[in-house]
Formats: sequence, structure tokens, C-alpha cells
Amino acid sequence: MTKITINGRVVEADPKKPLIQACHENGADVPMYCYHPGLTPVGSCRICQVEVQQGTAPGRVVVACRTPVVEGMVVDTESPKAHEVRRECLEFLLKNHPLDCPICDKAGECDLQDYAFAEGQGEGRSNEPRRKLDKRKSLGDVIVLDEERCILCSRCVRFMEEIPKTPQLAVADLGSRSVIATFMDRPLSGNYQGNLADVCPVGALTLKQFRFQARVWNLKKTLSTCGECSRGCAITVEVLRGKDVKRFRPRYEPAVNQWWMCDTGRFSSERHNAIERVVPAARRVEDLLRICSVDEALAQAAETLLAHSGAVCLASPFMTVEEGKAFGALCKSLGATPAFVSPPPSGLQDSLLNTGDPCPNRRGLAELGFEAVSVADARARIAGASVSVLAGERVIELCDRAMLATMTATRIVTFDTHALEGAAAMVCVGIPEQVEKIGHWVNVDGHVGKLSMARPVPLGIEPLTRTLASLTSLLATSGASSR
Amino acid sequence: MSQYPTYLLDRAKLPDAHTFAVATKHGAYEALRKVLKEGITPAQIIQVVKDSGLRGRGGAGFPTGMKWGFMPDPAKDTRPRYLALNADESEPGTCKDRVLMEMDPHGFLEGCLVAAYAIRAQAIYIYVRGEYRAPYNRVAAAVEDARKAGLVGKKILGSDFSCEVWMHKGAGAYICGEETGLMESLEGKRGHPRPKPPFPAMFGLWGQPTTVNNVETVFNAPFIVLRGAEWFKSMGTKTSTGNLLVGVSGHVNRPGVYELPFGVTCREILDDVCGGMWKHKKLKGFLPGGSSTGVLPASFIDTPMEHDAIKATGSMLGTAAMIVMDEDTCMVRAHEIIARFYEHESCGQCSQCREGTQWLHQIFHRIEIGQGKREDIDMLVTLSRGMAPGKTICALSDAAAIPTLAAVAHYRGEFEDHVAKGCCPFLPAGVKRPSFAGAH
Repeated sequence: MTKITINGRVVEADPKKPLIQACHENGADVPMYCYHPGLTPVGSCRICQVEVQQGTAPGRVVVACRTPVVEGMVVDTESPKAHEVRRECLEFLLKNHPLDCPICDKAGECDLQDYAFAEGQGEGRSNEPRRKLDKRKSLGDVIVLDEERCILCSRCVRFMEEIPKTPQLAVADLGSRSVIATFMDRPLSGNYQGNLADVCPVGALTLKQFRFQARVWNLKKTLSTCGECSRGCAITVEVLRGKDVKRFRPRYEPAVNQWWMCDTGRFSSERHNAIERVVPAARRVEDLLRICSVDEALAQAAETLLAHSGAVCLASPFMTVEEGKAFGALCKSLGATPAFVSPPPSGLQDSLLNTGDPCPNRRGLAELGFEAVSVADARARIAGASVSVLAGERVIELCDRAMLATMTATRIVTFDTHALEGAAAMVCVGIPEQVEKIGHWVNVDGHVGKLSMARPVPLGIEPLTRTLASLTSLLATSGASSR
Repeated sequence: MSQYPTYLLDRAKLPDAHTFAVATKHGAYEALRKVLKEGITPAQIIQVVKDSGLRGRGGAGFPTGMKWGFMPDPAKDTRPRYLALNADESEPGTCKDRVLMEMDPHGFLEGCLVAAYAIRAQAIYIYVRGEYRAPYNRVAAAVEDARKAGLVGKKILGSDFSCEVWMHKGAGAYICGEETGLMESLEGKRGHPRPKPPFPAMFGLWGQPTTVNNVETVFNAPFIVLRGAEWFKSMGTKTSTGNLLVGVSGHVNRPGVYELPFGVTCREILDDVCGGMWKHKKLKGFLPGGSSTGVLPASFIDTPMEHDAIKATGSMLGTAAMIVMDEDTCMVRAHEIIARFYEHESCGQCSQCREGTQWLHQIFHRIEIGQGKREDIDMLVTLSRGMAPGKTICALSDAAAIPTLAAVAHYRGEFEDHVAKGCCPFLPAGVKRPSFAGAH
């Protein structure tokens, strides 16, 4: 480590990283556009200017992203000279920027907007006509490019080259005529295109899925973990007004996903906006499933489970470690072996993040002693038992909803977000979604990913840990009394 | 015509000097033979070039011997080493390298080989401007002739020195004349200049130690090797030694490329060498070293043509490409054209340059067509200060800002006239400036 002085404070900096990194790690907010900690620095936007003094030489204003850290250097990120150069640079960047912030999806989280407020002069001096370019150029299924907003930082070009290693974007033409383009206007491909909207410091690359969906300042952001594969990328879940999940975005987690996530995970946010949920529970009354309270449902579940022996207990691979423990206790009281449904590989495996294993908590459940059961096996077990308990998000879907609905000779108690149809469904207890609960998943490498409450649970629904524990204790008390 | 000793263009003036037979008859490859036969070491060559005070002729005037000395010690750094020849002469006004390559390609090739020997380069890349077809063909033919004579390739003249020569044609981009842009272009990428450090001597072509030299610079090397540092220092001034090629264009009677020692005054060049202003008009101003050097008004005509004296006037020697403008020249129009050039040629990496060159051009254009405002003139100054010096990766931004600052400093009155009259005062009433056709 190298000792340098940043804004009057002596700090230790990593000599392998550029100066801007040391500034950011030590609370000095140096603006940046072309620099991204996950990409090769090119030093082309020229906004990260700071004043550096080395030895007896007078202070120089340099770009922090291309300046190596040298022992004893004195850095002033707030010097008047540095501010002046940054202000000038912003003036140039805003020269042709359309300033359509009111209709721009990036507004509110736009680096150009933020730093223009922080450093800019507040008023433009340019009366020249601004560049007229394509404002909605489709770059495939995921991304729309607004050429006018683009500040040509080339982060997107470098992302495609360096992270998924599928170079598809380039800067075309020269000078003030430069635009970002794909070869021969071909659409982008690959499972990592969504990241382009994240690396874009302005509103040039936006997600088709998120376009005009919400103003970002209305989104409540909660730290969470993606559940689409066993990688468990760290994400933020962004919810509009306590209701719809508008997007998932990757969050920096050095041990798991760095700054990135795959599109499969990113666009799984849609899944959490389903409306046909069972709230709070349903139970079979005569021949129909009727909505009831959780207590009523659990009482009927206990009754069913006590009336029939040899219960099969199957968990969802989306179950958190905490829910797994509660489910393990239930299994024990029923004398069943805890198991979870393990669907086949998704076929989305790649060398970057996606593991292709659609079980986000496989390792956590395995550590709790759960047995992994294939989908076919799971179905056979359900069909062969007189009563089954299926618990956890998407468990019905994973076991094949239509197939379960045709069963008649068995009884099924479910704890899922959706109700189970068909004659076998005895009790359906509603549970919180992945974005509505607190818990932990253990990813493929043993890293613990946290789930947080991104939006409130629908009224009446109780956490799965609590409903499972209630059922376990009900079984114990009513079992004891009936004996 | 000139009373000064010459050496650069002596052979070039002979008929058929581009052929191997004529060139060798008149001394081509003598320096190379001397170096290889007498076993002069690379260090000795670098030393004599250092002693001679030879400065780069590509515009910056960096001492050549020192540049060669930056190459890492081959004993410690065994990576392959390259010499890249910057023959991408694209600065408006500059046309000196073209003469050397076209008229004396063997002299140029010898210079390349001596330089390559000095830095122990195993290959020479000659990057020729795309539009320079005749120079390219002449140099390419010279390389083939020299190869047949055992002067290029493996074990040159039976010595241990092997050096391959590769020719490369540019595709018409000014920015590829910037040394790191040139290297990127040679590597087959976009001609985007690289941030420095790392410098080419440590991380150049394909990441290997590389020296990039101008054509005229290496052309001087064989003469220094043959005749010695003292001879070289006898010409020119104390800090700018030797002769240089001055390319004069514009409103003079005899425009052309002339060989003159450093220190000759601009007046002498204009009046004695070039036969004075054309049509008996008065001198208004001149760009001393190409479009990227600041304009100097007529009162500076007695400035000696050498690095320090020109620098003291606030301009730059550049490539000594004097562009002379007579009294009827509209300075706003002249600089509008310069600004248009830089807008067209900016690579577009750095924000200041990409947007600034366009902005400057727009403002110049508006003032020229009579739609300028008073504050536009100050804006030219503040914008130029935002673009230079040293605020961008390469010097193209500076090259656009420097002439703008000089034009406003020396000819502010003319800008104000344009604004006040609402039209260009140099145009007859009722005549409008034609709008631009495409660039190039």
C-alpha cells in the first residue's frame, strides 16, 4: 500500500489502482463518466480532473482515472483549479446534450445531471443548434439507444469487449459526428445486455422494459439477492409506491457478481407483479376452495395431516435458510425426510455469472440436510402418498401445476404464493414473495446472500417461517390431545 | 538563390535522384556503410546526434538524441523494438516530408536505417499519409531496390544488423499523425490517441518499445553521422541547429519548400527566398508553422525562424510551414476554415475536443456570415482556454485552440467589425460566402 494525501488526510492507497479509486475509497467524490471501476480506464471524458502535487513541482491538474498512485503525492480534489477545469469540461459535454431530463428515464440517477449540479455553471452559453440524431434507435430486444443524449464515454463499448467478451458495440465516425453503433445495425445479442443501461452514465442506453415506467426518485430501493440461479447476484429491488417491482439492478458485491447481472435475473422482476395470489389462505370446504384466514387454513391442514400418515414433505429450492429450518422441524414432527424439488439445469449457464442451476439456495438447503429430488421423483412421491406438504415459492409451478391438478387420489397442503387447483388441493396457505421477506440464501460458492423486504406483504399473509412453525405446533398440540 | 550551405535537398534536386543508381552515385547509404563497416555502436550514434542538437522536425522540436536515449537498455529489456516513421504529413500548410520521400527516397530510407540501428529496432514501420500516392510508391520502390542490394532485411551488408521495413498507408485521418494515434492505426485499430504515460519508448507498437520519428528528422541522421556534430552545429542557431525545410504557401510569388538554416528571419524567407508578396500587396499576417500555430501579424515578420524566437512571440515553430496572408485576407474566414479542419479531424474521444472544435467552428462561421454577437468573441477565448493546454489526451485540442486565441488576440478589431457590420467587411456588398461543400 502507498501513502498519499487526499484533501489533507493521509490515506493508504492501492498502487495497482488509479488515483480516482483511492479518492472514491476515501470519501472524495471525484466525478467520472468514462471511468468505471470494472472496466479499463481510457481517460477520455476528462471530467475526473484533480489537482496533484508531487515533490517540489507545482500542482498540476490531471485526470484521476489515468494517474497512478505514487508515494507521497498530495491530491486536492476540491481545488479551485480542478473545479474550474471540471466546469469547463461539463460545459463542453452539455453543448450538444438535449437536456430532455423531464422525459428521460435516467433523470434522477444521471451522472451528467448530478455533476452538472455540483460543478456546472447553471446556465448554458451555447446558442448553436444541438446535434440532431436518432433518439430511439433499437439495439435489439433489450436496449434502446438515444444518440443525442450519448456523451461517448465508451463504457458500453468496453463493457461488451471486456465483461461478456462479445464485442458488439463500437464508436462509429469521427469527432463531433461520432455515434455508438453496432456492426451493420445488427441487434445486440447475449444475456448481459441489460448491464449496458447500468454502465451508461447518462440516459443514452435505456432498457426497453423500464422505459417510461417510473421516475427513479419514486422507486424505493432495497438491497436483496437475485434468485434466478445459484449464483445469487447481489441486487437492488426497486419498487414503485409499495406495489410493483419495476426493476432489479445489480449491486456491487466483489465476492459474487462484481457490478453485473444477467438479463435472465434482471428481467425476472416481472414475475413478482403477478396478481392472482392466494391472500391470505384457502381451504377446501365441501368441494370448493374458499378463502379463509391463515389460522383456519392451518387448523384444517393439521387435521388433514393427522388423519393421514406417511406425509411427503417437499420444499421449494427458493426457500431461505430460515424457512428451511422451520420446514425441517415440520418434517420431523411428521416423520418425513426433508427434501426440495431440484429442477433440471436451465441451459443458461455461461462462464461469467449464470450457473444454469435454477436453485438459488441449493447449498443452504443441502447444509440443512435436505435431499434434492428431481421433478419426476417429486411427482411420483406426491402421487404415491396419501398426503403431501409442498412449501415455498414456485413449488407448485416446479412440480407442474397442471399435473398436480389432475391428481385425485391424494391430498395436498401447499404453502405457495399461488393456490393449487384440482381435487387434491386441501389447503393453500399464502406466503410472501421473494421480495417481501427477510432471509438468507447460500450461493454456489457458499456466499450468504440476504433477502430484504422490498415491499409490504399483502394484508393477512404471514411469513412462511411463522406459518410453518404454527402448523408444527398445531400438529404437536392437536396430535397430543387426539392421542 | 540562397547563400546558406545546404545538404538536405542537394541530392533531391538531381534528375532521377529517386532511382537507386543515381542516389548511390551521389552518396546514398554512405553513412549506413560507414556505421556498419567501422563498427560504430548505437550508443555512439545516439551520442553524436545528442551532441549535434538535432531537434525533431515533426512540430514539437523535441531533442532527437534524447528521444532515442529513452529506449530501454536492450540488455535489460529483451522485447522486440520498433521504429515507426511518421510520414502522415497532414497539417494544412506542411508539405516538406513529401519532397523528401518523393525526390530522395533512398536518403530517407538510409535515415530510417541509421535511426533503427541507433535504437536497435528490428523493424521499421513507415506510415505514409493515404493521399501521398507518389511518395508512397517512390519509397516502396526504394525499399525494394535497397532490399535487392542487401540494405534491408537480414544481416544488412553482411553485418549483424537486421532490419525489416514495412510500408503502411494511412486512410486520410489527421489524427493518425499523432504518434500514439499512428500506433493505434498501425495496429489496425481506430486512430484514437492513447493517454500518456505509458510513453511509446516503454509501451509502443503492440506494447513493445517504440520510437516514432518524423521523416525530416531521420533524414538528418546520416549527414550527422558522416560529417559530425560540429559541422551540424555550424548551421542554425545555438538551440536550433542544422537546416530545416521551410514550406511556404499563401500569397507569395514563389511558394515552395526551401532548405534554410534555423534562425533566418521570416522577412528574409518572404522577401528574398519567396520573392515577396504577390500582386505587390501588403503582408497582413502569417502562420509560422502550419495551421496549428498561432497567427502572427506583419509586425512580427523580423522574427527568426527558430524554436525559441518564435515561441517568444507566443506562437510555435511547428513544422515551419509558413502560411502567408495578404492584406485582403479575412482573418475570421481564414480561422473559420482552420476551425472547420479541426472539427472534421478531431477523433472524438475527449469531451473538450469533440465538442469544442465543433463549437469554435460554429462561432467562427456565425461571426463570418454576420450573425455573431459581441460576446461571441470572448466566448472564443474562454472556450479555447477550456480546451488547452494539456487538458486532453493528445494535442489536437490545443492545435484548435492556439490559432483561435492568437487570432482573437491579434485581430480582435476585425472580429468586432464583422459583428458591428453584420457581414464580412472583406466581401463586396451583396456577395455572400458560399456555404461549405463536404470536407476534404
